[in-house]
Amino acid sequence: MKKIISLQTLYAMLYFVLGMGLLLAAWAWVSHITKNEVPSPILTWKVFQEVMQSPFQNDADIKGIGTKLLSSLGRVGIGFGLGSLLAVPLGLLLGSNIRLMNIFNPIIQILKPVSPLAWFPLGLAIFKDSPKASIFMIFICCIWPTLINTAMGAASVPPDHKNVSKAFAFSPLKYITKILLPYTLPHIITGLRLSIGVAWMVIVAGEMLSGGMGLGYFVWEEGFNGGSIEKILVAILIIGSVGLLLDKAFIALEKKLSYAQ
Amino acid sequence: METMIAAPTTVLNTVGLDTALPKSLVAKTNQAATAAPLSIDIQNVTVSFKTNEGVYTAVKNISLQVKKGEIISLIGHSGCGKSTLMNTISGMVSPSEGTVLANQKKVTGPGPDRGIVFQNYSLLPWLTVYQNIFVAVDSVMKNKSKADKIALTENGLKMVNLWPHKDKLPGQLSGGMKQRVAIARAFSINPSILLLDEPFGALDALTKSAMHIELLKLWNLDHREKTIILVTHDIEEAIFLSDRVVVLNNGPAATIKEIVDVPLARPRNKKDIVHDPEYMRIHDKLLGLLMHKLSIND
Repeated sequence: MKKIISLQTLYAMLYFVLGMGLLLAAWAWVSHITKNEVPSPILTWKVFQEVMQSPFQNDADIKGIGTKLLSSLGRVGIGFGLGSLLAVPLGLLLGSNIRLMNIFNPIIQILKPVSPLAWFPLGLAIFKDSPKASIFMIFICCIWPTLINTAMGAASVPPDHKNVSKAFAFSPLKYITKILLPYTLPHIITGLRLSIGVAWMVIVAGEMLSGGMGLGYFVWEEGFNGGSIEKILVAILIIGSVGLLLDKAFIALEKKLSYAQ
Repeated sequence: METMIAAPTTVLNTVGLDTALPKSLVAKTNQAATAAPLSIDIQNVTVSFKTNEGVYTAVKNISLQVKKGEIISLIGHSGCGKSTLMNTISGMVSPSEGTVLANQKKVTGPGPDRGIVFQNYSLLPWLTVYQNIFVAVDSVMKNKSKADKIALTENGLKMVNLWPHKDKLPGQLSGGMKQRVAIARAFSINPSILLLDEPFGALDALTKSAMHIELLKLWNLDHREKTIILVTHDIEEAIFLSDRVVVLNNGPAATIKEIVDVPLARPRNKKDIVHDPEYMRIHDKLLGLLMHKLSIND
């Protein structure tokens, strides 16, 4: 008989259920000792169902949570895409050229630790438009992890591979496509994975600052200002789940594109 | 020692003569003996590297002439600079002094007339066996048509009996198979000079012996026209394969200690050759040149 679920997957599922159970128990307990200041899982579940009545409602004044989620994801996608388009080629260049690396390294070291939120007002001043400013902020924060990982990958191409390129007179294009990119790809994907993780964290905060859009706005306006702690909790769970899915997607990509050693 | 005495005196004389003369003169006598054009001409080559502790000279003032179709082994202790010397022929290392001519042209960098087989195979792990060879052929044979390149790749793989494994990745192959891919890659670009840097060092004794025969078979199929330079520290391997064995002194600043001729008839037989008195004499001689202590009593 063919096994549909292996023992390993079964165990993994069991652990997942146990973890979730523990989370729910702790949550219920906190809710109990705060006398429902923090709403219980059951109350939150009811609000979740309410919110999910028409998630993709997209009227001028009322927008469903799904619509807000998509608009947040859209801005993350654009900022992440633009940031990666800059970071990957620049990382390959810096990793391959030690002089350029030495020039760019101090710039990266100074700008990298800056909170992405600090870029938001600058973006607002430049673009005079809060969605664009959010994209700008995501763009900036997506550069660093990808840039650094890509450069580290490109700088560690083994001499053996470089020797093959020399011995068989590879053209620069052939070196890039047959050696540099395949070798660096796992490093690039790790960088992209870190970048999207940061971007997803930052977008919610950015939208709280800018107001009027996305999941951040939902947390702040409908949750806190609307006096519904349940909505805040719903939003937190959705944000967390989407973040997890994004991470899993990149792990899958990493596995698929990494070459067998 | 008895075998040494039993060896033909003529050979002993030539070897004796070689050692008695300064190295540059030896080179000239070798050259004068043959009218055929030189495949490789190493002229007074010194290689120094800058290190943190100052300048390190790997090989010093080496001259060596190699005829077309000759098989030469460079033998010496680890770190004596034999790989460095060979890399001046491949063009991966430029000499600090002196020049290297390959096919009468000065070596300024790697070129398609010289195929290299690296010690650790150096296959690209993300490409299949077929792609590994094709990418080299495609890069070197820029003017050939795609059909020709495909034919060359196919031919190279069939030559080393790896056609059934063409779609495997290097990670799925044994050491011997990987080295056959590396050899096929070097042969496929059809170089007139083949440079092998300790090519069989990582293989077990049986696979190694099979590879020796495999290499000589390929060389034979090519009408013994390719010049082969082999870096090794294996005396048996050097004798079985080579026409001459170049023994290097210990580095730093290694020089040629002696060049030993191997006048054994080809094709050579792995099993029979070890009983040949001439083989034993050469083996003893090389052992004597390379090892100072032969037993715990020395």
